[in-house]
Amino acid sequence: MDAGDERSYRVALIAEELVNPDGRGIDGLAALESAGWGVIQLPSRDYPDGVAAPLLELVAEQTEEFTRHGYTVAVIGRRAGLDEALAAYGVSGLPSIEPRSTAALARFLAAQSGRGDCPR
Amino acid sequence: MPGVAFVAHCLLNQNSKTSGGARCPGVYSPLVATLRERGWRIQQMPCPELAFTGLNRFWAVREQLDTAAYRRHCRRLAKGVAGAIEVHVRAGDDVILVGLEGSPSMGVHVTSSDPERGGRPEWPEGTDELSPGSGIFIEELAAELAERGVPMPRATGITHQLPDHDEAREQAGIVSLTGA
Repeated sequence: MDAGDERSYRVALIAEELVNPDGRGIDGLAALESAGWGVIQLPSRDYPDGVAAPLLELVAEQTEEFTRHGYTVAVIGRRAGLDEALAAYGVSGLPSIEPRSTAALARFLAAQSGRGDCPR
Repeated sequence: MPGVAFVAHCLLNQNSKTSGGARCPGVYSPLVATLRERGWRIQQMPCPELAFTGLNRFWAVREQLDTAAYRRHCRRLAKGVAGAIEVHVRAGDDVILVGLEGSPSMGVHVTSSDPERGGRPEWPEGTDELSPGSGIFIEELAAELAERGVPMPRATGITHQLPDHDEAREQAGIVSLTGA
């Protein structure tokens, strides 16, 4: 990797309502931003299945590329259909959390290890 | 009234960038801060290049990516994004799009172009491949929306990879796009 590249090698699949908390609940995006993680946003639960399903497939397709390259990948929150979409691309067993507090999410993120811990 | 901003994938995930292109560990904070301060919801678009040419891809210009297969790939992604945009437009939400200027895929007003580039990946330093125009995904998204009768959102692009990047001007562009 280029010496000037600042990527973290950490990517979180995160529920839409944690990206856009609208002042309620946990601000997952802010927590990930603060911890230096990249974000793959899951489709809104308000989308009809016909809209969400293709988006979940695209999420799975991109997740596969990160896991193939040893990036740390985790799931924050829940999205119906995600597990099935990931399984279709051979991805399973990702660490996950449905955070009850910002502190719990921060602890979870700090506990994940992987390629991002290695000198670059 | 604030609405929904569809943003380029890499603006929330710099891990998707080609080697040497990640400007920060993960989230491009200036964009997120500006959108949130102004009450906009965020929806992330997929990265067209990530799933097609992978994390180890070379930097590329439009001509290298502009194949029928890549166009089909972008159209497949665009169908997914257009479906989501359509949901918001039909609901009466204001929708904007934030791409990435200079990108062969996600450029809105500036893409990258060099008809001579190809083969062994060596080229003179300082070669200027930036050119006016949109990236391939943006073109396919516009075409998909047009076929659905859905207007293309007002759009701009983040400029942080352009040589004349000016953060204040970039912010002004976002502020202008968000309409207040």
